[in-house]
Formats: sequence, structure tokens, C-alpha cells
Amino acid sequence: MIEVDHLVKRYGTVTAVDGLTFTVRPGHVTGFLGPNGAGKTTTMRVILGLDVPTSGTAHVNGRDYRALIRPLRQVGALLDASALHPGRTAEAHLLSVARSNGIARRRVAEMLQLTGLEAVANRRVRGFSLGMKQRLGIAAALLGDPPTLMFDEPVNGLDTEGIAWIRDFLKALAADGRTVLVSSHLMSEMAQTADRLIVIGRGRLIADTTTAKLIESSARNDVLVRSPRAAELAALMQARGATVKTQDDGALAVTGLDAPAIGDLAAGHGIAVHALIPRSASLEDAYLDLTDQSTDFRATTPERPHEVPIP
Amino acid sequence: MTATDTRPGPPAPVPLPVRARDVLASEWTKLFSVRSTYWILLVAVVTPLGTSALVAAAFSHQPAGGGAPPDPLLPGFISLEYAVLAVAVLGVLAFTTEYSTGLIRTTFAAVPRRRAVLAAKAAVVGALTLVTGEVVAFGSFGLAQAVLSGPHLGVSLSRPGVPGAVLADGLILFVVAMMGVGLGAIVRHTAGGIAAVVGVMILPSILALLRPPWGGWLGRFTLLEAARQVTALHPATNLFAPAISLVVLLAWPAAALLAAAVVITRRDA
Repeated sequence: MIEVDHLVKRYGTVTAVDGLTFTVRPGHVTGFLGPNGAGKTTTMRVILGLDVPTSGTAHVNGRDYRALIRPLRQVGALLDASALHPGRTAEAHLLSVARSNGIARRRVAEMLQLTGLEAVANRRVRGFSLGMKQRLGIAAALLGDPPTLMFDEPVNGLDTEGIAWIRDFLKALAADGRTVLVSSHLMSEMAQTADRLIVIGRGRLIADTTTAKLIESSARNDVLVRSPRAAELAALMQARGATVKTQDDGALAVTGLDAPAIGDLAAGHGIAVHALIPRSASLEDAYLDLTDQSTDFRATTPERPHEVPIP
Repeated sequence: MTATDTRPGPPAPVPLPVRARDVLASEWTKLFSVRSTYWILLVAVVTPLGTSALVAAAFSHQPAGGGAPPDPLLPGFISLEYAVLAVAVLGVLAFTTEYSTGLIRTTFAAVPRRRAVLAAKAAVVGALTLVTGEVVAFGSFGLAQAVLSGPHLGVSLSRPGVPGAVLADGLILFVVAMMGVGLGAIVRHTAGGIAAVVGVMILPSILALLRPPWGGWLGRFTLLEAARQVTALHPATNLFAPAISLVVLLAWPAAALLAAAVVITRRDA
């Protein structure tokens, strides 16, 4: 369980997190979404006691992180997979982390096995691919068998196989009854992994909802209609309260009437319909709608340096 | 494969904060799991042994009647020069490799009591450099005296004042390494940290060049003069006595570590 309450974090004049409140509960994969620079990493750092909040609180399992007893047994986190000494072996890295919290050496071997790194356990991490480093980071996060886990952009730079592996892994952890918070700036990725979503922009909460509800609430659920008598049909639909937009290719994007109603209407007036396609917004669209709104703040808040987007 | 496959059941709750022994074990593992530690130790051991023999040889070939005979313990002190630089780097790297890679966040997430991390790093680097320093000091002494005994310029370890001075030679590596740990934690960049250690060691010595009586008065407080006093068989009379110089010598790293303890908890990691 992670509870963030009216969290504010300023770096000088820059406000990275601006009054954020949310709760992450066990048993789900909770996606933590926002564009680059929205404040996701800062929030995670505050949760881990690495950065001190300007105001507000962040509690893990009901306590301030810095007050946790042997924190790795309560919270496992992967913030930056590349944060490794290049000259240390995977096993030595895990052992140094394990020892700091009195975790048995046996767990190191188990986590290497679990993450498929046994074969490279004695190799220096200098030569590791990003995917291998991500696995090593996950192994380190799981060392203390913690009930709460946090991963910052864990799929960044991974190949398809690596992404699928992490996705299944996160779901298994949540199914196990753990609290799992995963940040990403990629909505499409979260759509396949997260049950719940916390969307932030400019350090503020935009949405705290389930993935399904976010899609449902999107304004982009419409029906695409093609007809040789499009103008005539458009007028009829508008007369029944629908909103009709004509696309560049002449097709109509209709909201406010569903596909059967449009079909019946056209048939009733003897108008031929060549296409009648109900379209639901992708999660990506819903996300863009939300973050579009958050970027409106740009006009009124001072410009902040952007993070370099990671491809 | 799922996360549950190899779980050994829920861990028993441990009603203890992070234990000093655990943090020490972790830092010990870190120190001895990278090659740089071994290379630095090699430099710190081999160069003084070689240099002390060479310096002693140069001493023993001085023309007769060329002024007062040099301090027979000076070769041992001079030979520490490269070893000092090596252990300065070792001390600085303790924190700066973690800050430069971002590993420090893993460390502080595992051990939120940051001063415990500072203390543990200082302890493991301190133990290593103290042992190394004494090995080097007595090794260099033995070699230098073997060379100097030819022209009968050498001294025996049994002579009063000699064991203390040789022990002090070894202590210097420890002192410099501790300066490195403290300044590395403050500066957080490897190059900057090394520059800071060298700067703190050498720059104040410029004070000793001031016109008398200022030069001598201020010079007594510098690391270099204090080190020279505690390692000499015949300490200079215009500086602090060796016992007080020893306090000065230890006060420098103590100040660096204290400053590190203050800033380390105040900054975001």
C-alpha cells in the first residue's frame, strides 16, 4: 500500500510535483502515467525517502519510508536499471544489496534464477544489455520478498520479448497480492499491463481510475459513416441530436447516435450506406485527451525544462 | 515462470532497524568486488617499497661531510607519495562511483540512515588502508634500513622513537583515505573529489611559506607539516610536538567526515 497525500516537491523555482494525492492498493498492477517531465520519477523518489518533500507526505505500508525497518523487506524498487557499478558482477551487486538488509545469500541465487540471469551471474555488468540490466534491477527489487513494488519505466528500451516478460511478471506479482506501481509515458504499454491508472501531468493528478473506465469516458467513441449522399444523411442525423464531423476524405465521424440507429435512419430515407463502423477510442487517445488538457497549463505556468524523451 | 515459483514463504518480521553489521558487510562486499580496489592496493604497496630503497640509496651515496646527515626515516616518508595519491583515489571512489552511476539511490533506499552508510564506508576503507599502510610502512623501513646500513646511516627498530614514527607512516595512508571518503561524499564527482583531497593536503602548505613568524605558526596546522612531524626521528623544533601534531593530523579527516555527515542527510539523492 502506497499513500501519497497532498505531495508537493519544488526544486528551486521549479515545481515538479504539485499537490498530488493518490493511493496504490495491493492486488493490482497500477499504472503511473504521464508525459516525460510530469513528475513520476520525482514522486517515486519521494516515496523512497530519497528526496525530501517540500510539503505533504508519502507513506508506504502506513509509515514514512525512512522509518521502515529493513526497508527492502517492505518495498522493492527499480528506478534506473543502469545505476550499477560497471565493474561489479551481477551476483556481487545483488549480494551487496542483500547484505545491507540482512537478506540471506540464498535469495541472491534464487533471484538470479528467477530472472534468468544465472548464466551471467559472474559476468561484470559492463557488458550487459539494457534488458539484462532491467532483469538485474528486478532481481534486486525482489530480494527482500517485499509486499510493495515500484518500477520506473521498466520497459524502456526493451525488445518485444523483454516487454512481454516484464508484463507477465508484473501481473504475477499483483496476482500474488502485492502492491505494484509501474510508471510509464507509454499508454499503449499500460493498457496491456495495468488494471488501474493514475495519470498525472505537470505534477498534478489528472485521473485516478480503472483502465476500462478511462477508455469508456473518452470523447472519441464515435461511428464512421460513408455514404454517397453524405450531406443529406448528415443533416438528418444532426436533426436527431448527433454531432457530425466531416473528415478530409468525405467520411462522417458521428457521435450521439449509435450504429444501428444510423443504419435505420439511412434505410428509412432510402440513403445508401457504404460503411458503418463503430470506433472506440484507444487508451492512447484517451490519454492524449487527458494530457492535452494538462498541457493547457503551459500558458499559465512557467516553462520547465523537459526531460529528454527516451525512444 | 512466475514470481511465486521460488518464494520461500513470507519472511518473518524483523523488529530491528538496519543493523550496523549488515551495512558493514554490504560495503565490504562492494569494496572487494571491483577491480579498481586491487589495482589501487597494488600501487599503494609496490611503489613505496621500490621508492624507499631508491631514496635510501641516494642518501647513502651522498658525499661525506655534506652537511648534517639526513633523517634516516625520511626515505620511508618520501616513498609514501604515490601511495598517498592511490589511497586518496580509493577513498574518493567509495562515494563518487555510486553518485556517478546512480547506484547511491539503491544504497540509500536500502539503508535510509545515510550516516550509517558513511560510517560503514569509512570503516571498511579505513580498515583496509590502515592495514595496508602499516604493511607498507614497515616494509619500506626494512628496505631503506637495509640499504642505509651499508654506509652505517641506518637505525634499528629498537631505537626509541623509531617504532612510533614508522607506525605514523602507516597512519598517513589511513588519514588520506578518510579525507577521500569525506570529501568524495561532499563533492560527489570523482575528479573533483581527488582534486579536493590533493588541494586540502597541499594548498594550506603555502601558508608555511609566509614570512616568519606567520609561516611557522600557521604551518603547524597543515596536514603536510603535521605528517612530517609525526614521522620524523628528529622532529622540527619550531612546529608542534609530535603528540599534538598527531591530533592535528587526525583532525583533518575527522573534519572532512563530519562535514560529510552534515551534508549527506540534507541533500536529495
